[in-house]
Amino acid sequence: MSRTDRLDREVGRALSALSAAAKKGLGDPALAELVVIRASQVNHCAFCLDMHLAIAREHGVGERQLDLLAAWEEAGDVFDERERAALALTEAVTVLTDGFVPDAVYADAAKHFDEVRLAHLLALIVAVNNWNRVMVSRRIPPGGHTP
Amino acid sequence: MTTEETVRYAPEHTPRLAWAQHAPEVYKAMLRLDTAARQGLDPRLLELVKIRASQLNHCAFCLDMHSKDALAAGESVERILQLGAWEESKHFYTEKELAALELTEAVTVLTDGFVPDEVYGRAAKHFEEAELSQLIAAITVINAWNRFGVTCRMVPGHYEAGKHR
Repeated sequence: MSRTDRLDREVGRALSALSAAAKKGLGDPALAELVVIRASQVNHCAFCLDMHLAIAREHGVGERQLDLLAAWEEAGDVFDERERAALALTEAVTVLTDGFVPDAVYADAAKHFDEVRLAHLLALIVAVNNWNRVMVSRRIPPGGHTP
Repeated sequence: MTTEETVRYAPEHTPRLAWAQHAPEVYKAMLRLDTAARQGLDPRLLELVKIRASQLNHCAFCLDMHSKDALAAGESVERILQLGAWEESKHFYTEKELAALELTEAVTVLTDGFVPDEVYGRAAKHFEEAELSQLIAAITVINAWNRFGVTCRMVPGHYEAGKHR
């Protein structure tokens, strides 16, 4: 069954504006890509993974981090404390249906990010969840992104 | 009013983060996205979708807001309450509403798998292409509000109907 590839132009622009505002406020393009890729793994978004693995490489994210991202918790010192806090928050905010964002996860993120950065990190997690939903729902195939 | 004097409710929790104040550009983009996504959709259907997604994501603040907005828009208490078990309350809803609720669940719980063909197919039967695309966008947007609400522990109970419509 074919699905629609339609996305209202203004919806698309607003989604992009949200992502841009979040990334700008976070101010860490490499970390942003780790967050975006991890959420896209959890939500199984092939289009988003394809696109953001390419962008991550452009931003100089190392192959070892990309290889081990799906198992970051067991990846030892491949990810630093700040990255781990951001990835834990990413998973908690992405999988809301399992329960609330735990205090320990939130507190650890709040230790590594001041309130302004934390608000933008959260916004980025929300923004990638948005893209994951509009892409997975319409089964948009990977490969659309050219770096 | 003896009951009001004797019943003592648990204390209200404190929100974690005033995200909109710390990220005003993000908030502005969310409002723009919300406005864009609701175009072309029946407002009554939209409230049902928002309430069901907020139930699945456990967003207390969003449930408070959207149940009040739904009631103010003339929605019945029964149809709001039965949303928690809509699959066994199908005669409360139209076939079109049921297709939208089913799609809402599939798009909200992506971690269980992809949006199934049957679910997408039923939605596509009841919504023409442009409307279906907007419905997917609207489900996405309530999921976004839910994420802000839950993560920041936004406090329910203070919303007045119509304030954010």
